[in-house]
Amino acid sequence: MPRVKSFTQSMAWLHSWAGLILGWLLFAIFLTGTLTIFDKEINWWSQPELRDQQVTQQEAARAAWNWLAREHGDAEVWNISLPTERAPVMSVSIGDNRRSGGKVLDPHSEALVPVRESAGGNFLYHFHYTLHMPRTFGIWVVGLAAMAMLTALVTGIVIHKRIFKDFFTFRPVKGRRAWLDGHNACAVLMLPFHLMITYTGLVIFVMIYMPAAVDALYDGNREAMFREARPLAEKGAEPRQGNERRDGGRQGNERGPRMVEQAPAAEMLPLESFIGKAESVFGPGMVASMTISHPGRANAVVSLRPLLGSRIALTKGVEVRFDAVSGKLLQAPLEPRASALTQQVMTGLHFAQFGGYPMRWLYFLCSGVSCAMIATGLVLFAMKQRLRTAEVNRGHTFLRVVDVLNIAVVAGLVLGCIGMLWANRLLPVELAGRAGWEESLFFGIWGVSLLHAGWRQPGAAWREQLGVAALLCLGLPLLGFLTQDAGAMDTTRLSLALVAVLIGLMLAWTAWRVGRPAATNGVPHEPTQHLAGAG
Amino acid sequence: MLAAFTAGMTLAYTGMLALCLGLERHYRQIWRETPPVWLRRGLRVGGWMVLVMAFHACNLAWGAAMGAVGWFGLVSLTGFVLLLLLPYAPRLAVWLPVGGGLLWIGVLVTM
Repeated sequence: MPRVKSFTQSMAWLHSWAGLILGWLLFAIFLTGTLTIFDKEINWWSQPELRDQQVTQQEAARAAWNWLAREHGDAEVWNISLPTERAPVMSVSIGDNRRSGGKVLDPHSEALVPVRESAGGNFLYHFHYTLHMPRTFGIWVVGLAAMAMLTALVTGIVIHKRIFKDFFTFRPVKGRRAWLDGHNACAVLMLPFHLMITYTGLVIFVMIYMPAAVDALYDGNREAMFREARPLAEKGAEPRQGNERRDGGRQGNERGPRMVEQAPAAEMLPLESFIGKAESVFGPGMVASMTISHPGRANAVVSLRPLLGSRIALTKGVEVRFDAVSGKLLQAPLEPRASALTQQVMTGLHFAQFGGYPMRWLYFLCSGVSCAMIATGLVLFAMKQRLRTAEVNRGHTFLRVVDVLNIAVVAGLVLGCIGMLWANRLLPVELAGRAGWEESLFFGIWGVSLLHAGWRQPGAAWREQLGVAALLCLGLPLLGFLTQDAGAMDTTRLSLALVAVLIGLMLAWTAWRVGRPAATNGVPHEPTQHLAGAG
Repeated sequence: MLAAFTAGMTLAYTGMLALCLGLERHYRQIWRETPPVWLRRGLRVGGWMVLVMAFHACNLAWGAAMGAVGWFGLVSLTGFVLLLLLPYAPRLAVWLPVGGGLLWIGVLVTM
């Protein structure tokens, strides 16, 4: 590295190093984030036992009611997760923790459906923001990477002198120029997306990253801050009564003798009748799940929660509550304050639950281009480093480390992700701790990729790893065909297989491009140069 | 919604294409001649106007707030597709809006 001379040069220096050191992390974060956009679809594919039963939410609620009343008539709380467009499956559970251990129920036979345990999209989702490290630590590391991304974006703008002149410029025949053109094009055209997704990603965990304001104003008491931000809890008497009713079984002792005894039995209104009522609040087709407290008692309450997606703001914890016996509205959702709404809109922009499938695809493709930008940036660093190393005949070890890590991170992670889908179908269905095995295989494949990259020359390692990843992607429909019943091949699973094939074709093309010039130029071990020269 | 989305996508691409052709380098890349100044300016103004129309289509597809998000995504992505097409299939890049228009009509008819 020559002495830092000017502002632009120091920006270039910062761009290369922030981009390289955290680029490896960023690629992992962006690739898993890209896949997470279709997490529910990946989950659906991962459990081929599930079938779209084509029932209305009303029919599903009726079936769930029958089953719950029969099997768990004396439970304090019933939870029903209703079939929705992206996950046309119904699951039921009892008790306060509605997130854990829902059982899939067939709405026709009113019997439980055994489904395989799988890591699937949920693993990718958690990996995206924790990198599979202890949660808070992982969030900090990902936040650091996001700051590096912002740094790289801003310094990238500074050092790119011809943003507008070269706006549409892509010259795939001019060697290293092609990589730089590609890297610039990915960055400049998607700049709004890059800035938005990185910044909103940081905003999600603003309370973790920047706790000073809460510490100063609320003495570190987050609950106090949330109470003020949320009008629901601020309103005092009315909602508190609602809470009390809901948790009555547990809190009864503190609130007075009337809650200690169970309320007398009472006939509830049909559960399906509340779906229409909730739709009038959330919009048609926007109800996601319902919870019934004290079912079959005079103080029974039905709470319904909306599907995310009718607006940008990510509205977690919103619900509408009805008296299950009289049908009277107990609590309508309230608009959050402007400050809370701002945070919700930013979070929502990141989670991309709005705008239906067209928006989901836009996010997926933009995000894919982000991955390409990071990958091309890493490759460019290796190319420059290779020139520099040849020039001064020093730093061979460092170049080797860069090459190996580039291959293991870019090609290896792609291999790990597709390998995990293969593991989902090839591991025995009844294997204990199955989801854990899938995750272990993901990391195992990644580790093997690192060893392979260290063992082979860079050109061969790129070619072989990308080639294997391409084969696994292209073979995914066949795997599905061989390992699942014909009835499981619905639109969602078919689309996932089709997308895998398209990605496989792109990977195969890349692997071929990496390989081809090696044969023609006779200059082995310089994959990046080849790829560029091949264009 | 799908019709408005298709229209937004086609318009976004067309707008980016016009802006691109408004640059001398890319005009020459396709038509092999230097564009007169009035044509370059016209293409740029027209390109921005078409992008405004795309914004309107996005608002029809998603509503005002989401429409803006969708517009940014569509403009970025169609610009990227244009950039990839230019060196490999410049003629296709110019005629692609026709395909988009046909697709839009197809969606209108079938929906």
